[in-house]
Parts: sequence; structure tokens; C-alpha cells
Amino acid sequence: MPFMEFVNFYLMPGIVLGSIYALGAVGITLVFGILRFAHLAHGDLATLGAFAALGVVTIFGVSPWVALPVAMIFCAFMAIGIDKVFYDYLSERPKIIVVMSSLGIALMLRALVQVIWGVDTETYTRGIVRPENYWGIRIRDREIYTIIAMFAIVGVLWVFLQKTKWGKAMRAMSDNPDLALLSGVDNRKVTMLTWAIVGILCAASGFFLGINTELKPLMGWTMLLPMFAATILGGVGRVEGAVVGGLIVGIVEETSVLLIPGEYKAAMAFAILLLILLVRPTGLLKGKVL
Amino acid sequence: MSQSVIEQSVAENIELPGYSGKPILTMTGVRGGYGDADILQGVDMQVSEQEIVVIVGPNGAGKSTAMKAIFGLLKVRGGSIVVNGTNIAGWKPNRIVQHGVCYVPQVDNIFREMTIHENLEMGAFLRKGDISDSLERVYTLFPDLKERRSTLAGNLSGGQRQMVAMGRALMLNPSLLLLDEPTAGLSPKYMEQIFEITRNLRDAGLSILLVEQHAKQALAFADKGYVLAAGSNRHEGTGQELLADREVAEMFLGG
Amino acid sequence: MELIGLLNYAVFMAIFIGIYSLLALGLNIQWGFSGLFNAGIAGFFAVGAYSSAIVTAPESSVHLGGFQMPVVVGWIAAMIAAGLIAWPIGKVCLRFRSDYLAIATIGVAEIIRLIVKSEGWLTGGARGINKVPRPFGDLSYLYSQLAYLALVIAIVFAVYWAIERQISAPWGRMMRGIRDNEDAATAMGKDIKARRLEAFIFGAAIMGLGGALFAHFNRSITPEAIDPMIATFLIWIMLILGGSGNNRGALLGVAVVWIIWSASEFLTDQLPTEYAIQAKYMRVFVIGLLLQLVLRFRPEGILPEPQGVSSRTETKTFQKQESAAK
Repeated sequence: MPFMEFVNFYLMPGIVLGSIYALGAVGITLVFGILRFAHLAHGDLATLGAFAALGVVTIFGVSPWVALPVAMIFCAFMAIGIDKVFYDYLSERPKIIVVMSSLGIALMLRALVQVIWGVDTETYTRGIVRPENYWGIRIRDREIYTIIAMFAIVGVLWVFLQKTKWGKAMRAMSDNPDLALLSGVDNRKVTMLTWAIVGILCAASGFFLGINTELKPLMGWTMLLPMFAATILGGVGRVEGAVVGGLIVGIVEETSVLLIPGEYKAAMAFAILLLILLVRPTGLLKGKVL
Repeated sequence: MSQSVIEQSVAENIELPGYSGKPILTMTGVRGGYGDADILQGVDMQVSEQEIVVIVGPNGAGKSTAMKAIFGLLKVRGGSIVVNGTNIAGWKPNRIVQHGVCYVPQVDNIFREMTIHENLEMGAFLRKGDISDSLERVYTLFPDLKERRSTLAGNLSGGQRQMVAMGRALMLNPSLLLLDEPTAGLSPKYMEQIFEITRNLRDAGLSILLVEQHAKQALAFADKGYVLAAGSNRHEGTGQELLADREVAEMFLGG
Repeated sequence: MELIGLLNYAVFMAIFIGIYSLLALGLNIQWGFSGLFNAGIAGFFAVGAYSSAIVTAPESSVHLGGFQMPVVVGWIAAMIAAGLIAWPIGKVCLRFRSDYLAIATIGVAEIIRLIVKSEGWLTGGARGINKVPRPFGDLSYLYSQLAYLALVIAIVFAVYWAIERQISAPWGRMMRGIRDNEDAATAMGKDIKARRLEAFIFGAAIMGLGGALFAHFNRSITPEAIDPMIATFLIWIMLILGGSGNNRGALLGVAVVWIIWSASEFLTDQLPTEYAIQAKYMRVFVIGLLLQLVLRFRPEGILPEPQGVSSRTETKTFQKQESAAK
């Protein structure tokens, strides 16, 4: 196979898909690292974000790119609200109870989308977009935006975590929660902040999946496994690891069709997950093991 | 409410014979523990201004527990803990920190994935405005840390980690510092260094409550010592008195 | 006529409650007694259903088959197959906190769904496996249903008895010890990994048996019969509502939730058809909400785990106070 064919039909789609996974995985790694549980409603929160953007597009007739920030803010408040109404009451119980609760939230969020938008497949815009040719690399504008947006969003988050007082407080809470509390960090504020960021990231990943493919009520749930595989592959609690993990999972899924039947593309995430748990549970960048 | 006021005034009026200086911490009849069982069965202690007070005793005597009780990390079911004239029993740790008490736990006392500098910044989390004066003070106390300020704390040696932990606790300029076995697992060189810093801190005006396994060395420079056993006071006296006490020596100092 | 219809419906419901009971008992071994989070119940159910169907169904041009083994052999095959799937997953994931098992079991269910859909030579693809023999299938409709119900009840009781026996044996005490205090159990030198793996496989095998009973009852198994999320979730809410760690609670939870679920379907069927989709998913939403309410207001379920056999409450209060201290 010619090299450019590999780049255009396997590598680039892999990077685009990987960017979408990365946005989700960064959120999962924040919840896993700071709040210390596996958030199973993550994919369905992304679905909600994608459909919220669709709602803005259909009601106000604006471009999907205008709808994205609205969906982000909406999901941030949804995530905070879900925590306040459901998870927060379970905070003194074993963490696995919150995991269970999040499985229920996943079901509820999806049912909500199905009640409001029905079960049909939707799109943000109609018509076929042909890829442009940049020096032999064939890529659509929206795919370029997806990759740039992922790096931009994660970049802003990175600076926030490294440079600001509350960003450091989040890292401290992830690093050593007891000592963070002893230092006077307000647990509730960090929790709220984390959920706000997670909501924003969820909306972004759902939106970019929607704009590159279609919107379906199950779109987020099917992303859950690849996103978790990316999180654990990168190292739990590692933002940069989640990006690397997301890109690897995306690229592996897209290139796997060269070796295995296309139906089993989705199985690659599972294979990566089991493999990394077997050989290096801390992940590539030495994260936590809960 | 009224009861705690009474306890408070009682506690303030206690004058232990032979010791001078304004009391910073006064514990009276403190009982408490994890779960339903009381580990502390009535502990009395006093730390005065510019004093190093050492708690010694056998394993399981409740030394660390007493310290955690002061810092609000376990349920206090009886007695009073008066710091700077206010009963802080039952307060949450973040409030206690703001009241001028800082605590260095025995283990997990640093942020491993943050730099030395960030660890110190986290120590000053509750402070608003400029913290450069405290940073400067801590770096003067621990010159080693200044050189390696951008190193991740998890990559340091045990002794340096302990310095980061103490430095973090000093960032809020506390009036009382609680150190839980700061020398555990350290080489003799680092142990001596930590003890020296502790003495310097006292000389600079700080009151320090110290739990120590190295009882002999610690009592040698302590202004006062308490021997705890089975969750209550067994002996007390100046460091020298305890070192000279035959029973104490036989029981806890290994002859 | 009306009475016969009602009786038929009642028997039909009872058979389903019996099948769900097996799944709930299987989950109770994993979660209730051992603290293992299985979010892929539907996967083990499917493996059992398809294994038993393949082993017992007549020759077909569509899927693997023609072995025509007795139904009992099919059921044993179902248990073995589900257990065999559980083994490697447990082997990899049980070293970690149960969060990892939850994710991995979601993955297992997903992969099994993929295989069922894609490997037509094995499973008949979308058409599934038909002509699965049904015990007492030659009798007239009502008697056949009643006979199958009796069979299901007998199996549920046998499984119930086997679990109760196992749980009151040293094995069960050890499991609860591990669940309630892993550190202490390790300190006592118990081989935790092996015990937890046993519980995970044991539970999965029972779920597989539940799948087999379902396939033989329906005389067929198709991919549509397995909605991974809803099936898994219903079992969870049944166990939690009934009382995890208590087999009788699990059975009660199955009956209560299945009746609520079916009654709500009956209600939504009365709605005009244009609301059909909304109504269907409102039911799902409500069942999700029910879990949240149970977790918050009655986490021990209707029939809590009996006290005395367990130190769980003690551990809980301890944890509570510790976190309160923080």
C-alpha cells in the first residue's frame, strides 16, 4: 500500500478519532484522579452535549461552531448538577457505590436524549463535505478543526492546572487528598470545578464526534470503552497521558481494519485495555492504580 | 456552648507548677478515637510559648492519636483543646489551620507529583496576597530546598522530603507546629539536622509539639516531655527529669 | 377465557421472574457477597443462551449446530462457556479495584454483542438461532408453560440452596471477610485473588444458566433479545432494591422490579402511539432514577443482609467516621 494512502485513509482518520477520544479521556482521568472513581456516565454526558449543540443549531439556526460553547456551558452545569443531586450524597460510602450510581446516570441521560430527540440519526449540517488536498494529505476542514480544538482545549487546561491557584489545588487533591485538606483546600470547590471542566470536555468530545460522523443516542456509550482504554493506557490522573492514550487508541482502531474484519474495530479498545492492565497497569506515563 | 466556655476558662487558669510562659496549647481530659472505641482515655498536656514539648511512649500509647485529636482528624468525645485562648475541639482541620496550628503527618506528608516550590505554595493555600516573605523564610531554613525548588518532591530523599513537609507546614506562619515522628526512617545525619531545625524554630519563637520514637535524643533538647501509655498521661516533666527517671528509662528508653 | 388468559400471563411472568432470579443470584455472588462489580451481565447471559442453543439445536444452514445434545448438556455447556469467559477477565482485573472490573465487563458485553452480530456461521447473525428445543414443548400450551415454570422454579431453588450452602461454609465467611476488609483478610494469609476469581466465575456460570433457560423458553435466541444496557441494569436494580448480600432479598427484588417494569409497560401501552417512543424511554429514565433513590435512601435494600454473619456495618461506620474526621 502506498504510504500516502495509509496516511489518508488510516492515519488521519485515526488522529481525528483519537482527538475525540482524547477529549473524553482527559475528563475521565480528572474524575478518576481527583474524585477517585470510574465515571461510567461520561460517554452519555458527551451524547447529551452533542445533542444540546444540535438543539441550539435547530432552534436558533446558528452554525454548529456557535452552538459548541453553549453546549459546553450547558454540560458544565449538568455535570455539577448531577454531582450535587446524586453523587454528592454517596461521598461517604465506598467509591464503587458512586460508580454504580454513575451507571444509572448513564442510562438516565441517554433516556433523556431519546425522549427529547427520539431515536433517529441526526446531523448538524446536511450535504457531503469533500476533503481538501494539502500537499497530498486529504483532510476535511472540520477534521483539522477537531485536531486543533483538542490541542487548544487541553492546552488551556494544562496551563490552568500548572499555573493557577485552583489548578494547583486540583492537582494537589489528585496527588494527596488528605494533605490537600490539611492545607485548607476546600474539597467541595475542587469537586465543583472538576465537574465543570469535565462537562466542558464531554460536550467537546460529543460535539466533535457528531460533526465528524452523526448524532445517535448511543454515540457516547460506544465511546466509553475507548475513552477508558485511553485513560488507563496513558496513566490514570495524567492529562498528557490521556491525550497520548486517546490518539493511540484512535489510530489503532482505524488501522486495525488492515488486519482484522472491520466489525471488530470496536474490540481494539478492549484489547488495549486488557493488555495495559496485564503488562503495565500504571499506564505509559506512570499514573495511579486504584 | 456554656460548657465549653467553662472548660475554656478552667483550662486557661491551670498553672502547672514549674513552667512559665504563656500557654499556647492546653489539652484537658481529652478522650476520643476512631470508630466507637476511645483510644485517648483522658490526656492532659500543655505547650507554652517558645517551647518544644515531646510526647514519648510505647507503640499504641496514643501519641499520634493525641496529635490527630488536636488537629481535628478524629472524634473528640470529651475534654477541651484550647489553643490561643479558644477551644478548638471539634473544629475542622481547615479552620484549625487558620487558627495558627499546622500539622506535619508522619507519612504521605508531601505532594509527590508537585515541585518543591508548588508544595510550599500549597502550604500557603489559605493565604491571600504575597507569600514571598514566607517562601524566603522557609528557603533560609532549608537551603537545600531552594537549590532544588523545581524538583518533583517525590524524587527527593527521605530527609529532604521531611524538610519539604515541614516547610509546607511553616508557610502559614503558625504559632504551634505539630510534628508526628519527623525523623522516622531517616539517617542519623538527617535526624540531627531535623532536630537542629526544630530547635532553631523554637528559638525563632515557635511552639512545637513533637511525637518521637528517638525518645532519648528528643528529650535531651526538649523543654518538656509527656510519657503516654494506654491512652493517658503516665509521666511528665522537663526533658532532663524524664531522662533521669529510672522508671521512664526502663519502660520506654530501652534502659 | 379471560381467566385462562390471565393465568397464561401470570405463568409467563413467573417464568421470566425465575430466569431473572438466576441472573440476580449470580450477581449476588459477585457483588453481594464478594463486592465484584459486573456491568456486563448481558454478555454472560448471551454466552449462556447461545452456547446452550448451539449445543442442542438441530442442524441448520445458517449457524453452527446439529449436535442435538440433550437440553441438560446444553445447560452445562452454557455454565462452562460463561465461566470460561469470566476466567481471563477476572484473572486480569481482580487485582485492581472493582472500577476496572466494571469497565472490563462493559467491554466483554460489547465484544460478545459484536461476535453475536458478526459471526453468522456461529450464531446465525441477525436471524439468530431458532428451533431451540424446549423441555415439555410437546405438551399443550398451558401445560407446557406450567411444566417449564416448574422446571425453572426447581432450578432456582437448587441454585439458591447451593449458594446458601456455599455462603455459610468457610468459603462464604472468607468471601465476606475479603469484601469487608481486604487488608485484614490479606493479613490473615488468605488467597484473596483465587477466592474472588472463584466467586466471579461461579456467578458468571449462573448467569450463563439463566441465559440458557431463556433461550429454551423462547425456543430461539436473537441479538435483539439482548439489550446489553437495559438487561444488565434491570438486574442491578433488582439486587440493590431487594437487598444485596441476601439471596431472599435478591429474589424479592426481582419480583418487585419485574412487576413494576411490566406494569409500566402496560401503562405506556395505553398511551397514543405518537408518544410510544417517549414513553418507552421515560420508563428507562424512571428505572435509572429508582436506582438513585434506593442508593440514597435505602442502600441496604428491602431485605438487608442479616446482621451477625457480617462485619460490614461495623466497617461502614468506621469508614464514615474516618471520612467525617477528614
